[in-house]
Amino acid sequence: MAEDIKATPGTEATVTAGEEANKQVPIAISVKDLVISYRMMRKMSVQRSILSFTQKDKAANRFVAVKGVSFDVPQGEIVGLIGKNGSGKSTTLRAIAGILSPDSGSIDLHGNTISLLSIGVGFKPLLTGRENIILSGMLLGFSEKEIAEKTEAIIEFSELGEFIDYPVKTYSSGMYSKLAFSITAILETNIILIDEVLSVGDEKFKKKSYRKMKELINTPDRTVVIVSHSIKTLEELCTTVIWLHDGEIKMVGETKEVLKEYQEFMK
Amino acid sequence: MRFFKDTKKYFPYAVYSAKAELKSEVANSYLNWIWWVLEPICTMLVYMLVFGNILPNMKEDYFGAFLFVGLTVWGFFNKNLVNSVKLVVNNKSIISKVYLPKTILILSKIMVNGFKMLINLGIVVILMIYYKVPVTIHVLEVFPLLVLLTVITYALMGILLHLGVFVEDMAYVISILLKLVYFLTGIFYNIDTKVKDDTLRYVLGVGNPIGYVIREMRLVILGGQGIDWTLYFIWLGIGLVCCFAVNRVIYKNENSYIKSI
Repeated sequence: MAEDIKATPGTEATVTAGEEANKQVPIAISVKDLVISYRMMRKMSVQRSILSFTQKDKAANRFVAVKGVSFDVPQGEIVGLIGKNGSGKSTTLRAIAGILSPDSGSIDLHGNTISLLSIGVGFKPLLTGRENIILSGMLLGFSEKEIAEKTEAIIEFSELGEFIDYPVKTYSSGMYSKLAFSITAILETNIILIDEVLSVGDEKFKKKSYRKMKELINTPDRTVVIVSHSIKTLEELCTTVIWLHDGEIKMVGETKEVLKEYQEFMK
Repeated sequence: MRFFKDTKKYFPYAVYSAKAELKSEVANSYLNWIWWVLEPICTMLVYMLVFGNILPNMKEDYFGAFLFVGLTVWGFFNKNLVNSVKLVVNNKSIISKVYLPKTILILSKIMVNGFKMLINLGIVVILMIYYKVPVTIHVLEVFPLLVLLTVITYALMGILLHLGVFVEDMAYVISILLKLVYFLTGIFYNIDTKVKDDTLRYVLGVGNPIGYVIREMRLVILGGQGIDWTLYFIWLGIGLVCCFAVNRVIYKNENSYIKSI
C-alpha cells in the first residue's frame, strides 16, 4: 500500500493515495492544507499581564507549528510520523484527534471513531476508576450503554480488581496507566492514534499491553497513526512513514526508505 | 452556532461529570450531603446572631429567610467564580488527551453548584413556612431570576477561565475582589433601607448585577412584589452579549490553553 502513496515536493507537501488505491481502499483520514498555530503565552503575574495587554505586536508571539500539511491515510494503513523535537508530529496527531483545532485547512475522518492512545485518556482524580471509565468512554464518543457493556472487560484487562471503586487519586502511576490503556484498548475505535508510549505498567502488564497494542494495530481495516522517535518501533509496526520537519512534510514513503533518509539527516 | 452544537453533543458528559463530582464531594465526609444544607444554615445562624442581636439595627422582616436567600445566591455565584479560575488547569489531564469544549467545563461546574443552590432554595421554602411569609404569584419570578443569575455567572466564569490559564496570581486577585463585592452586595443588609446615599444605593442595587438578583429575589419571595422587568432585560441582554463574546474568546484560544498548560 505504501507504493500508492506519493509526495508532492514543495512547501505545502501533499501525500495522497494513488488513484487505484482510492478505488480499492476507502480513505480513513484526509488532512488538507493543515495549519496550526498558537500564541506562545507563558504564565505571568497580574502586573505583567496588564503591561503585556498594552503591547501592540501580539502577532510576534504566534508560533506556527504545522504549516500547510496535506495527506490522506487509506483505511487499514499503519502510518508512522517521525521528525525531530518541535517538528509538528504531536501537534498533527493532536489535531487529527480533535484536541487542537486547525487555523486553516481541514481534517476529515470520514465518520470514523478515533482515540488517542498516549498514556490514555485523562482522569478526574477524585472520581473512582469505574466513574472515570464512563467519563472517558463518553469523551471517546461512546454512549453510556456501550460503555456499560464493556466496563467489566476493561476492569478485567486493567487487573485493578477492587481498586476500580477507589478514587483515581489513590492509584499508583502504574495502576493509573493500566486503567488508561485498558479503556482505549477495549473501547476500540476505527482509528487509533498512538503517541510514543507503547507499553505501560509493570513488566508483566508491559508485555500484555504491547501484545494488545499489536493486536489492535493488526486488526484488518483499523487505521493507525503512530508518533515515535523509535526507529525500531516504526520499522516493526508501520507500512508507511511521514517525515515532518519544521511543520512541513519533508518526505513520505515506504518505512525503510524514509527511515534511512531520516537517520542520515539526523547524523 | 458551535456553542449550541457542542453543548448538545457533550451534555450527557457534563451531566455525568457533575453527578460524579457531587458524589465524590460527599463520599469521604461523615455527614455526606447534609453538609450542603448544614453549611449555609450555620452561616445564616452566625449572621442572625451577629446582626440580629449584636447589631440589631441591621435586622429585617423574616430575617433568617432574608439572610438565607442572599447566602444561597451568593454561594452559587462565589463558588462558581472561585472554581473557574483553575478550571482549565484542573482538567489538564483530560483536555490534553481528548477534545472537550472548555465551555462544557463551565457548564458542568454550574450544574454542580446549581444543584446545591436548588437544595438551599428548598430550605428557603421551609423558612417561608416557618416565618409564615405570605406567598403571591410573583414567587414564580424566581425562575427568570435564576436564568439571569446563570447567564451572568457563566459570562464571568468564562472570563476567569481564560485569564486563569495565563495569569498566575489570578486566584488571589479574585478572592480579594469577591470579598469586596460580597460586602457591596447587601447579603446581610438591605441596600434599599440601609444605604442612605441615593447614588450609592442605586449603584449597589442596580449597577451590581449580583446585588440586583439578590434584591429582586428577596422582593419576589419575601416581599410579594414583582420584578423590575426593564432592568431584568437590560442585565439579561448585557449577560448574553458577554456570554457570546466570552465563548468566542474561549474557542479562539483553545489551542493556546493546551500549549500553556
